[in-house]
Amino acid sequence: MKRNTLVLSIVLLLLAVFAWAGWANWEYRKQAAEKRLASAAKAELVTASAAGDGDIQHFSSPLLSHPAPKFTLEDLSGKKVSLDSYKGKAVLINFWATWCGPCKIETPWLVELRNQYASKGFEILGVSADDLDLDDKKKLAEEKSDIAKFAQQEHMQYPVLINGESLDKPYGGLDALPTSYFIDRNGNVVAAEMGLTSKADLEGNIRKALGE
Amino acid sequence: MSWASVLKAAVGFSALVNICAAQGQIPMADSTNRSIGHGAPVEYLFPEQVTIPAGKPQPVELHFRIAQGFHINSHTPKEDYLIPTVFSVPESAGVRLASATYPDGADFTLPLDPATKLSVYTGEFAIQTKLIAERGNHLVQASLHYQACDQNACMPPKTITVPIDVIGN
Repeated sequence: MKRNTLVLSIVLLLLAVFAWAGWANWEYRKQAAEKRLASAAKAELVTASAAGDGDIQHFSSPLLSHPAPKFTLEDLSGKKVSLDSYKGKAVLINFWATWCGPCKIETPWLVELRNQYASKGFEILGVSADDLDLDDKKKLAEEKSDIAKFAQQEHMQYPVLINGESLDKPYGGLDALPTSYFIDRNGNVVAAEMGLTSKADLEGNIRKALGE
Repeated sequence: MSWASVLKAAVGFSALVNICAAQGQIPMADSTNRSIGHGAPVEYLFPEQVTIPAGKPQPVELHFRIAQGFHINSHTPKEDYLIPTVFSVPESAGVRLASATYPDGADFTLPLDPATKLSVYTGEFAIQTKLIAERGNHLVQASLHYQACDQNACMPPKTITVPIDVIGN
């Protein structure tokens, strides 16, 4: 009887120890997962000043090293423009909008860089993410006119495409503008930027897309 | 009961606990998560409920908060191409918006474009409205339309719901 009580006590003690170990393990995993979640949420758009290389934001896109999603959009004159038609060229797909202040700052840099690198086989597709009333002809005409006015004021001599919102899903949400994807001559995404960075940063990624 | 069977049972129990713990592990965040673009940068604070005399315009002050690091255009931005902040109340809600008076925007410039002055709201702000309520209890789903930016990027225009329980008596 005494022996049985002793064995039972030891079993209960062991069970308690193992249960505690299991609970502690679960708590540890939970806390580690929460830490990973917190750091992952911040990791996608990081101000690089924290990393010591200037006040630049780096954007980690899931499209990196993958073929750029294909699309065909209309330009301001109604002509259909497809990404496929730029095969063999390095392409910068720049999402912007008329209401986006940082886009206005970035556009003159893009115009200069396009002039500088066009002869090497580089092109920019400026994709407007302005909301369009596709079912209301009058409003649509006004919206197109606003986009054209912006493009003219900013001297965008490259193709300006509309209805960029339709690319929201394949291009990862377009949560903020400007957003740029740099595509190499084989059609693969080699770099991506979200938010205003710098002319030097844009140029570095253009050269990367050109394979320099 | 042998010691071996006791130990076997204990190890089995522990393994079970650990498997359950592993099953409950929180999955890794989706790699497309970003600090910008998730959630609304503007939040409606209060009031949740107001009681006002029915049938005539009554002042109701609505309070909002903008997340740190963001700004939104004021109701009267300095440039035509910028999207103003606008409060609205849907028709046939038993409550009508007689008027809305917005705070003045604060001058703001982007570091890379100091020449362009913007008129924005940051932090907390309040809109002075005058509401006309019919007699009774009305759960109004009003709206605030705005467009937010931080110093480097802009988020698409957004409309948030402003839920107010308006009691007209």
